Amino acid sequence: MLLIDTDVHESFSGVRDLVPYLPEPYREWIARGAWRGFSQPFCYTSPGSGNRADVRNADGSASVSDYGLMRRQLLDPYNETYTVLTGYFYPTMLKLQYGLSSALASAYNDYVIEHWLSKDSRFIGSIQINARDPEAAAREIDRIAEHPQIKQVMLPVVDDIAYGHPMYRPIFAAAERHGLVIALHHTILAEGPFGLGLHYIERHALLPTSMMAEVISLILNGVFDNYPSLRFIILEGGFSWLPHLMWRMDREYRQGRVEVPWVKKLPSEHMRSRLRFSTQPTEDLSGDQWLKLIDLMGGDEYLVFSTDYPHFDFDDPRVSIPNSLPDDLREKIFWKNGADLYGLEAPAQ
Amino acid sequence: MTRHLVCRLNEIATGVIKPVAVGRGTILLTRLPADDIKAVAARCPHQGANLEYACLTGYVTSDCPNDLHSERPGQILRCPWHGFEFDLSDGRSVADHGKLRLRQFKVEVEDENVFVVI
Repeated sequence: MLLIDTDVHESFSGVRDLVPYLPEPYREWIARGAWRGFSQPFCYTSPGSGNRADVRNADGSASVSDYGLMRRQLLDPYNETYTVLTGYFYPTMLKLQYGLSSALASAYNDYVIEHWLSKDSRFIGSIQINARDPEAAAREIDRIAEHPQIKQVMLPVVDDIAYGHPMYRPIFAAAERHGLVIALHHTILAEGPFGLGLHYIERHALLPTSMMAEVISLILNGVFDNYPSLRFIILEGGFSWLPHLMWRMDREYRQGRVEVPWVKKLPSEHMRSRLRFSTQPTEDLSGDQWLKLIDLMGGDEYLVFSTDYPHFDFDDPRVSIPNSLPDDLREKIFWKNGADLYGLEAPAQ
Repeated sequence: MTRHLVCRLNEIATGVIKPVAVGRGTILLTRLPADDIKAVAARCPHQGANLEYACLTGYVTSDCPNDLHSERPGQILRCPWHGFEFDLSDGRSVADHGKLRLRQFKVEVEDENVFVVI
């Protein structure tokens, strides 16, 4: 079966890998170790820390920067047709020094193009941006959008940005201009309504709430209406909450439309036509539960498969989507829904 | 169909809801800006709120966040409970394009007398 894996985290071995791609003075700052990259404000508790423990270099050290290893562990054994690279280095997390942040985004994009996209035609690329400077982010999107493997813009979910705010419009305008998908993915800063919680397990369980907040913000502040051809995907943010959010937002809209009349459709109509979800983590639903949930969603076009490789909560495509699901539904999840979203066709044999 | 004399024409004003008793029920009358007299049932089709307490307002529209405009004053009825909007021109709910609809009644005016046909 054809397979699109929509959330795979390539990386570098360290932020110094970006030095060749940075302009001065940032090149000199990073080269001399003035900043060593982001560090999560918590301790991972799984055996391989944030990654699967079997993602190891030949010398036994942890690796997320090795194309050869990814090919051996993911692309080839699962026979992935396309693999969407989504990174986990999100410069928007830098809350000051916007010039440095935007330069880091550009450098990372150039690094990924040279060290990842160029190595395998199965890779689909994402543009990293500094969303805190939306005009600079739009220029970065314009700069590399025409790369043939680039299909989307990453919008990192942090702890202080709801992307419906009008100041972020240049990002959406640029993405729409180039026909790119907007992908929302959490960062190590993403929080629930009352913060990170007191334990890593709390923080991880809270992640879907941050995605719900972003969807509410984007729709009710008019982003879906203002950019009618733009499509969105929620990565690694869950999907079983969708029926609740559709029902709740439709009810809110029926009683409160007068406050947001720039929203021209029921929120559920916007979601149905424009919003997609990656499947990982699948929450270990049974086949019957999948079918009931899809019935509640009102359609089977929402879901696209993802593994989240190399992260510890990886979903194996052979196991995580029940084999008991109808073949046409499995084909939509593994291939058709993602191919439609990204405009992909099956490669010539 | 039965004609019920409900009031005099000059008792019905634009922007005001006038409840009238018809049989054991209540019907609401109002005058649209173009002078049409509208008669609708007094119960909201959503959860049955008494629409005597509804407000008549305009149709609020916008093509850009935070730039609101109000059109067609007095032609939108908002339920006193949940604020659902109904367009008095056709009774349809505004937000979901008529999934709910106010029950409307035919109005006839003769010699300044207003009749509702049920």
